[in-house]
Amino acid sequence: MAEGVLVGRIDDIPEGEAIKVDAAVAGTIDDIAVFNDDGEFFALDDTCSHEKASLSEGWIDNGVIECPLHAGKFCLRDGTVQSMPATEDVACHRIVVDGADLRLIPNPDRLAP
Amino acid sequence: MTITQLPSTHEGERSPFPTGDLCRPSGFGPDIDVSGLVDTAHGLVDRSVFTDRRLYAQEQARVFATSWLFLGHVEQLQKAGDFFTTYMGEDPIIVTKDKSGRIRAFLNSCRHRGARVLRADYGTARAFTCTYHGWSYDLEGALISVPNEDGYRAETWDRADWGLLEVAQLDTVLGLIFATWSPSAPPLLDQLGDMKWYMEAFLDRDSEGTTIVGGITKWVLKGNWKLAAEQFGTDWYHVNMSHASALMVLSPTGKGPKSDIVNTPGRQYSDDRGNGTGFPTHPKSRFDAQPVHEYYDYAALRGRLGSARVEGPLTTGHATVFPNFSYLPVNGSVRVWHPKGPDEMEVWAWTVLDKSMPEEVRTAQRLYNLRTFGPSGIFEQDDGENWSEIQAISHGWRTNTVPLNYQMGLGSEREDGVHPGSTSELYSDAAGRRFYARWAELMNTPAWHEQLEEKT
Repeated sequence: MAEGVLVGRIDDIPEGEAIKVDAAVAGTIDDIAVFNDDGEFFALDDTCSHEKASLSEGWIDNGVIECPLHAGKFCLRDGTVQSMPATEDVACHRIVVDGADLRLIPNPDRLAP
Repeated sequence: MTITQLPSTHEGERSPFPTGDLCRPSGFGPDIDVSGLVDTAHGLVDRSVFTDRRLYAQEQARVFATSWLFLGHVEQLQKAGDFFTTYMGEDPIIVTKDKSGRIRAFLNSCRHRGARVLRADYGTARAFTCTYHGWSYDLEGALISVPNEDGYRAETWDRADWGLLEVAQLDTVLGLIFATWSPSAPPLLDQLGDMKWYMEAFLDRDSEGTTIVGGITKWVLKGNWKLAAEQFGTDWYHVNMSHASALMVLSPTGKGPKSDIVNTPGRQYSDDRGNGTGFPTHPKSRFDAQPVHEYYDYAALRGRLGSARVEGPLTTGHATVFPNFSYLPVNGSVRVWHPKGPDEMEVWAWTVLDKSMPEEVRTAQRLYNLRTFGPSGIFEQDDGENWSEIQAISHGWRTNTVPLNYQMGLGSEREDGVHPGSTSELYSDAAGRRFYARWAELMNTPAWHEQLEEKT
């Protein structure tokens, strides 16, 4: 059996878009945002570290997700904060492309207790 | 064409925002009796209506705060989150489509410190975030995020009180979006009345409706907004003089000046809500741009709109929907005259045309509109120069105290049995007199929000 949680298929997420995976499905503390940046897939905690906002509704630009509310920015590869007003990183997760399937391997530090 | 009546947000029944102990002193707002400044019986207007800053402030509070004002074309919003910004009077406005697809209009001023929430002309957003401190509003105008919200005491803080202010009524007619701050304004169709029959000759030629091409062109002019609004309502008179050179340029080579252009018969409609439109009448009325002329099936248009409209308001003519929305059917120019102080206006102009028009006909109409009534159009330049010239001298004491003449066709209005409502000859100041009569009526009537202030 393939590893990780099946969260969708590659054509579920158009380029430059994202989906939100419910925390209950992912088995994590926070919901997970899965992004398609120019054909590459990434996953981060969905909630912005600055204020309550869904990063899955943000704007993807060249490896960076910009929060839809206050324009804080995070690296899609590792979740590190790139721009004020956010000052804290968001947790990053792994996405494995298995054929046409997208599988999420949650960050062990962010698993639901 | 159907009208979509959208529910009012009931603003005005109670104050839509917390006021605490704030209360403006009585007599704070201007309340000048203008009955001595507009004399429609003798066709005279006092020139201070174009120059006085107190009258201008009263105009914002009593004319713009109570009237249906043009916001834009429905095609400017395709999907949820699409927005454009405009003005109602001097008030900045966000117009957007909310998540349910409803068109909404909000005051574009953050409830916190008052900055404009959106500064773009148009775009697509998932939320509206003020760039000053970061208060965020959703597409329904609700305040959804406040940085450092813990800093507000829970007992006195309710986010629900601090959403974007919404207009009281919003409606669409013939693809055009209008809104008003007044919860007690009669329905948009009542404001239009018979004017809608004339508007349909421009905006209901095509069962598919209309669309816009070429974006919105915006320019600044010296001149009071009423000079432009009034002219588009009532003034065919200036055409042969002001636009003489443009008419010569457009005249087919070798034909030169034609007396039947100057002496054309025609009618001018006006009503007591301040609307006005005028048009030459001719059995062979036609569109000026050749590809547009060739595109239209005039017999089919007669079937759809009736001969009276095809021979009149279908093509050449002018129109103003009170107070500051105007259009020209022959080239599809639609414009709003945004007031920017008593001495300045911003002209925002669209090209509106039939949805069924093929690309090459759309292009021909767009270019014809730009050539004639774009910011550097050969007619527009003549008009703007007139208004700016009038304004430039109008603050002089002697100049300002000599009344202006609106006497042409005095008493000539009648029902002509062909055109709905009251019409006069084409060359007439009838619609101008009624424009200023309506203006004076509103100026002398305390507005809905003033009554609200008295109640509370």
